[in-house]
Amino acid sequence: MPYQIIVCGGLAPDPLQTLEPVTTPAGPGLKNELMLPAVFDPWAGHALYEAANLAKNVPGSVIKVVSIAPKAKLQQVMMTVAQKLPFELVPLDGPGGGFTDSASIAAALADAIAAIPGLDKSQMLLFGGWESATRGAGVVMQMVGEKLGITEQFLAVDELKVDESGALIIKERVEGGRHQVSKCAAPPAVLAWATGNLPEPSNHPQTGMANMRAMMPALQKAKAAALTTTVSYASVALPSVTRQTKIVKDVPAAQIAQELADWIRQ
Amino acid sequence: MEPILVLLHTTDEGALPKAALETLAVARTLGSYHLAVLGAQAAAAAQSVSEGALSVRAIEGDAVAVSRYATDAAAAQALVSASAATVVLAPCTLRFQRALPGVAARLNGACDTHVVAVDPDLSIHRWYYRQRMEATQSRSARPWFVLIEPGAADPCAAQPGAAAEVLPCAVETRTEVVGYQSPNADQQTIRPDAQLLFVAGAGWTKKQKDGQTHTDEAGNLILNFVQHNKTSLGSSKSLVDLSGEGQAVLPFLTHLHQVGQTGSTPRHRKGLSTCCHGEEPHVVGWRFINERRAINLDAACGWARGKADVLYVADAFEVMRELAKLL
Amino acid sequence: MNPLPSDEPEVKPLDADIVCVGYGPATAGFLTTLTRGLQEESGQALESRAMPGLPPQVLCYERADDIAFGVSGVVTRGRAIRATFPELPLEEIPMATRVSDEKLVYLLDPVGASRRPALMQLADKVLQAFGVKQSGWELPYCPDFLHKRDGFILSLGQFNQWTGQQVMMSGLAQIWPSTPVAEALIENDKVAGVVLAADGTEVRAELTVVGDGPVGPVGRRLDDTMGMPEGHARDEWAVGMKMVVDLPESCTLPEGTVFHTIGYPEPEIFGFFYVHPGRVASVGIFVPSWLETPARTAYRYLQHFVQHPYLWQHLEGGRMRSWGAKSLLESGRRGEPHLCGDGYARIGEGSGSTNVLTGSGVDEAWLTGTQLAEAVLEIYRQGLPFSKENLKARYEARRRRSWLEDESIIAEKARNGFQRGVLTGFIGMGLAGLTKGRVFVPRPKEDKQPSRLEDFYVGRVSHSQIEKIRERCARDGKPLHDALMDAAGWPPVEFDGQLLVSHQDALLMGGKVQAPSDTPDHVVFLEPDVCIACHDKICIEICSGEAIHPGSGVPAFDHEKCVHCGACLWNCPLDNIEFCAAPGGLHSAEN
Repeated sequence: MPYQIIVCGGLAPDPLQTLEPVTTPAGPGLKNELMLPAVFDPWAGHALYEAANLAKNVPGSVIKVVSIAPKAKLQQVMMTVAQKLPFELVPLDGPGGGFTDSASIAAALADAIAAIPGLDKSQMLLFGGWESATRGAGVVMQMVGEKLGITEQFLAVDELKVDESGALIIKERVEGGRHQVSKCAAPPAVLAWATGNLPEPSNHPQTGMANMRAMMPALQKAKAAALTTTVSYASVALPSVTRQTKIVKDVPAAQIAQELADWIRQ
Repeated sequence: MEPILVLLHTTDEGALPKAALETLAVARTLGSYHLAVLGAQAAAAAQSVSEGALSVRAIEGDAVAVSRYATDAAAAQALVSASAATVVLAPCTLRFQRALPGVAARLNGACDTHVVAVDPDLSIHRWYYRQRMEATQSRSARPWFVLIEPGAADPCAAQPGAAAEVLPCAVETRTEVVGYQSPNADQQTIRPDAQLLFVAGAGWTKKQKDGQTHTDEAGNLILNFVQHNKTSLGSSKSLVDLSGEGQAVLPFLTHLHQVGQTGSTPRHRKGLSTCCHGEEPHVVGWRFINERRAINLDAACGWARGKADVLYVADAFEVMRELAKLL
Repeated sequence: MNPLPSDEPEVKPLDADIVCVGYGPATAGFLTTLTRGLQEESGQALESRAMPGLPPQVLCYERADDIAFGVSGVVTRGRAIRATFPELPLEEIPMATRVSDEKLVYLLDPVGASRRPALMQLADKVLQAFGVKQSGWELPYCPDFLHKRDGFILSLGQFNQWTGQQVMMSGLAQIWPSTPVAEALIENDKVAGVVLAADGTEVRAELTVVGDGPVGPVGRRLDDTMGMPEGHARDEWAVGMKMVVDLPESCTLPEGTVFHTIGYPEPEIFGFFYVHPGRVASVGIFVPSWLETPARTAYRYLQHFVQHPYLWQHLEGGRMRSWGAKSLLESGRRGEPHLCGDGYARIGEGSGSTNVLTGSGVDEAWLTGTQLAEAVLEIYRQGLPFSKENLKARYEARRRRSWLEDESIIAEKARNGFQRGVLTGFIGMGLAGLTKGRVFVPRPKEDKQPSRLEDFYVGRVSHSQIEKIRERCARDGKPLHDALMDAAGWPPVEFDGQLLVSHQDALLMGGKVQAPSDTPDHVVFLEPDVCIACHDKICIEICSGEAIHPGSGVPAFDHEKCVHCGACLWNCPLDNIEFCAAPGGLHSAEN
């Protein structure tokens, strides 16, 4: 049976950017947030690539990406992501930063997913990253799942296989570098992905063009997400991380090794 | 004072993990609390630490003997409801991180994870943007699940007390836990409880002074050191990426080893970085490594800029060869 | 819901009406004007010829991973930009502000290592005797031909993003980042579209707009195929390298302050410093092709430049936010290719629009884009084909009638003197500027070429010392420039980890340079024997990202460090480097 794969994913600042918190009338934010280049959230990206792989192996499956972000930024990022694999975009215009309330984001995503026409929940796999690179909370996917009534949920997934009976064989990360293996008899299920095992797909301009025909109008029509918050921030600050670094150079390797051995044994 | 519940789970063997005792330690700084435990042999585990708790409850049995969302969520919901607590403190293990956010949603509450400290006024401290900034915040939503990051507090020495009231829990699920997959003991390289984290950077795979790469020797030096000293192994993203692309690199490295902004943020007392430039996205993964030393050929690398306590400007191959003789 | 195809898409040609190569200021001007025109015409006759019933299908392919990863900031009079946006809302564009104060500053040599002609040394002494402060003499006025006092300061990355978002939100053009174009698709002497580098997809279009800059492969290959107009050549270049700095709290310079500098670190190197809003400054230099030293290193020179006392008084305690470099085509009108042909038109810097006398390129590039867009709309309305004749009559003719052409002619010979010597260069530039191009220094028969290392350092660094440096650097796999400059008396740079950082840190902290690991090397050394025999290997010294380093005879290239400035291309005296289009490079959006 083909799957209906919903991938939830937002934006995150391009990884090497320098980030600084500032206070805005709407709460904490990032300095120059508007001008920071953005990427599709890395773990949501892994989820998306896994979705593409699954869809390729199960013909007839479809992928829809549901995303809350400032729509002009989202469009800019989609010009890259849309070249990687075929999917439809369900965009919601809203703040894309980490200080938004996870519960509210989850509610808005769940509403948007529930409103997708023709969605067959019995064949739905709800994908996303196990955490975002912004809030880093790892709670939104479970909340979206609950709001949609899905109680088969998996966190920090690194592998999904479908066995001959159609059951989902799922590997989740657990403490100590191990994986827990579970068997879920059938969809619907929530899979919040860790890195998985797939590389980023290369760009296909034709795929991008085909995706963009529906995405551009969707982005233009994107509605504002109604977000609320129950969080109050007392402070957001950059940690002081600077140490007094002692630099040891022009010392024989054996002497360095001795110093390290003493330190390790301490 | 709001009613607080300390919610814990046992390991598969029926013991309380260290993270559970850490959460209990945090709870004790806040005043009185209810106690609830789920998992294998939860009642006995609950009683073993129940001294001073306002009430003690547990859910055990086959359904919760394994870590699984549907059963864990149902059990946690039952325990929270029975306690009537509005604030739930729990360890941020992967088991609870999977289960409790959904329970919060079920109960129209909220959930904050990776919490590193809780103040007496119930302000919490947690990190944003991959450990790049720290916030102090509070919540008006209730019930409020506060998941305490493992390692954020010293575990408390809790004493036995009242026996637990065991609650029933029945829930249907389509998921069956098959088991665990872990590397063989001799291949085990991720050890969360190790004193030392050894991080390998991409420099191990680059051309060395003689113009050649020496990845086989690099692999041996690293693995021998890690196995012999029972340290935990980490890696920079670039090295993991190289390994993932089937290049002739270090085959024992996976994404699980990646430390940094898009990897893990492990907690160890000491960290030794080798052949890694120490750029910011990687070093944010060192946020909770107390003592840091680095070996790099470049005296101007990132580690020199206040990111390490000691930077040895040296050839890591030579140093590790010598170190192997000493340890 | 549409089912997915079960396999990788098969590579088949795409059809469009207009395909643009590169999203810089020229293409931004083109697409802004074009999409506005298409919006105004909606419901009327403008219809796609490739896909009848739809509006014209307009695609733009940009090599960099985001349209904001442009490599420049700019002080511009912005005449053309303001013609497009009469109410240009600078406050909406991060890092933009009006010019509030502008100075031309002659920088003395405070370290004694700058290679100055005798007359300049004398001038330095005289100025010192008159007690000039901080080794910088503020000229009493900024000549008319150079001034930008009615203009504004931009971060090009931010400006590109601002224009790009508007263009895309119009729904009438698609800008695809991270999509390098390999070459133009040429059929029967006509350009029929482009070929994408990633998978060889042919994008067929009636009009190909080439705006890929001076080192872009599409423009360069068109020059090879179509030839250059008689007497035209691209033979004057510079590497522009700059950083964006968080100024220290102590700095009181108001936003909009601009310094243009001459004289230091070498007399041939021009510099700039301008203040954005929020206590942020851009500071940088241009290292020209007529700088004789074969150890051309923009990075080391930039570090000495920022430490010049005149600038350091404002910069000390600052922090590098961003860093980058690019090649500038400085041949001006002499470097102008055929502006159009059947099925294609050239715009922007690669079309020779930069004015080397006024030191202005962004506004001129924007203007060429808007002129082409006006021509395209006219051609559509008239139902004509995009033939050479039609493009010449509408685009090229517009350009020839505009101030861009008038000013290019004035500037055309303004820099001839620099091929003879730096003083002659300044005199020639001044004369051309003040007489509106009527008086100029004639260009010598032979342009200046970098000297051999040994010849260049005669009297300062001995042959045996150079030989030792060569050996040491070859052993360590390092370029020569740092060791040579140390030997020539330049003081070592004391890194502070904030503003003065190693070149590698500038790449990471400033440029945030990244590259996909699965793409082939885009800098290719063509004939190994030619490289092995090459004496000075300037490609290694000039490389803005330390991406080219000594290899075993043939230099080694590390594409993860490349900032795509293209300097290796024009610094190879033997034309032995191919510079292809590839994704990756700078990831800073603040430049």
